[in-house]
Amino acid sequence: AHTVLYITGLQFVLKLTPHTPAASPSVPGQEDIQAAMPVEELDPSHYPATRAAKVAEHFINTRYGSPFAWFGSSGVKKAGLEDMGVLGTKYHIEFTLKEMTRNQDMGLCSAEVLFHRADERKPPQVQCTCSGAFQVNTSAEEEDLYQRLRNATSLLSGSDIPNSVGHIDPEMAPFWHLGGVASSFIMLRESNESTLLNMAHIDNFTQMETKDAQLMFQYDILLHDMVSQEILKWKLLLSWSPDGGVKVLEAEWDPKCQAIPTSSILY
Amino acid sequence: MSYLPANYKNVQCTPVCKQRQHAKSNKTRTSFCHACFVTHGILIFCRLIKGHEARNYDYTIYHPLAEISTWMGQMVSENPDVVTLVDYGSTYENRTISLLKIGLKSDVTKKAVWMDCGIHAREWISPAFCQYFVKEILRTYKTDSKVEELLKNLDFYITPVLNVDGYLYTWKDNTTRLWRKTRSPGTDGCDCIGTDLNRNFEANWGMVGVSQNCCSNVYPGFKALSEAEARSVVDFVEPRKNDIVCFFTIHSYGQLILFPYGHPNVTAPNYNELAEISQAAAKAIKAVHGMTYTVGSFAEALYPAAGSSMDWARLIGIPFAFTFELRDEGSFELPENQILPTCEETYAGVHSVITYVHNKIFYSAAITASATLWTTLSSSLLYFTLLYFT
Repeated sequence: AHTVLYITGLQFVLKLTPHTPAASPSVPGQEDIQAAMPVEELDPSHYPATRAAKVAEHFINTRYGSPFAWFGSSGVKKAGLEDMGVLGTKYHIEFTLKEMTRNQDMGLCSAEVLFHRADERKPPQVQCTCSGAFQVNTSAEEEDLYQRLRNATSLLSGSDIPNSVGHIDPEMAPFWHLGGVASSFIMLRESNESTLLNMAHIDNFTQMETKDAQLMFQYDILLHDMVSQEILKWKLLLSWSPDGGVKVLEAEWDPKCQAIPTSSILY
Repeated sequence: MSYLPANYKNVQCTPVCKQRQHAKSNKTRTSFCHACFVTHGILIFCRLIKGHEARNYDYTIYHPLAEISTWMGQMVSENPDVVTLVDYGSTYENRTISLLKIGLKSDVTKKAVWMDCGIHAREWISPAFCQYFVKEILRTYKTDSKVEELLKNLDFYITPVLNVDGYLYTWKDNTTRLWRKTRSPGTDGCDCIGTDLNRNFEANWGMVGVSQNCCSNVYPGFKALSEAEARSVVDFVEPRKNDIVCFFTIHSYGQLILFPYGHPNVTAPNYNELAEISQAAAKAIKAVHGMTYTVGSFAEALYPAAGSSMDWARLIGIPFAFTFELRDEGSFELPENQILPTCEETYAGVHSVITYVHNKIFYSAAITASATLWTTLSSSLLYFTLLYFT
């Protein structure tokens, strides 16, 4: 017999700072990150650094991701570990950022990722600043997509994205990225020092009826955790508009598809 | 029958081609094209002539198991002096596991290179690479003297799909695409199917990076070598361990070049050399399409994990063992338009490793011999010079 972890009926609303094309390069509300002396220098190619960078990636996508912008780290340059005692462990990382839909180099980012103590089950806390012109102007495409969906006579849906051979229809690509942004909220929250999460697949998504300005979608998403190698099935209800950004309204993990507690893994 | 002009090579007679609609991508592609083969001006039968490639196998798409099996047969029939098909084991569902042995014939036992692809079912780019690798060495060994030398001095044992049952299962429908393990049943009342083949080898089996719950994707099996597929590898490699100098196991995703060990408390005696070789391979990869592959020991760069095939290979004494994690950095469903660039860069990386290992074995012995000769010569010269002047 084994205990099964599951979260049911979880509801939360995450407010995203409105995405403005003329936004300043730095993340709004961040104070200058002091060049804190890390207690221990880490090899940037080793997994503690790369896992921290992945968390920073999720953070950036929740802030700046959109149906037309998707960010990833293209390599950790420097990493340090600061033991925060009862608070947890803080990683200081410098990594290069790429906007992946255009294969565009976005320069260097500096992040602090605080993993709380495992028993506290709190999501990691991230602070991040990116140098260089951190501007991806997607407002025209977003507005275009938004108007098309609002004026459409039927509700849109899609499935099996990408398909088995990795193909994504060009019309479906914005919904792949939208799913990715929404997933980033979940992946950010679910990350710890023993995870490396990516969105693996969209089983299906359906546009829902709405009366207000926000478009609403139901997504069935598969996440992949590299460390446990598990596929995690999540159901997400999300809203989106160019002005409102992406909000995850409801998120539910489907435990039927993953009956093993990750705590059973010997690390 | 029809008569053709004297210059019949590459002439367009009407090829009879089987069109096949690809089940997943809906792409229509041609398999088994027949064209004209003529002798004495008489049309005898048809084979496609496209440059020097007799059969038009598409290396830029993913192939189901049946096509890979047919392709393996073609590689043998098209290159009978250098390619042999070896059936060396079977899977849980009783399917044959086969490899292609590639090398110029020799009277003496040769050193060898092992490469397995598709240990994890969902990593489709891996079997695609093995096929590309075979194609590439066969295409170039007659004209590239370096490749010819490799095939002269080494035998290559290439397994395009090791986890045959799992690979077949991932082709079933879009709900099975992300299967990883074998298809053997759970034991001891545990209800789930499959063992992680890359945790099933006798290399600190079960110690770390595993879950003893058989539903886990890192379930190492109820005991080491519980899986027929793993035993097949061991039964082939173990007797040849003194000849196998290089062991590659190809995976995805992650863009990593990993070397032993996966167990965090074990360090390979040639750690530094393995790191150097891996760095050089990463550099070779980057030179092709600019992609960054991270280098490190398995335990340091990816995660601690015991029971991998690479760890086992190193432990039994194969000096150079590597795990390659190919493109991309987030998905098992790598788009088909990335197959070719991925294969090209991986080939450069693998080639760089093989060349290093080959030269170390076949040249440094020569270097030592000639150094000795030179030392002898120069000291003799000095002696006679001294004699002359005294």
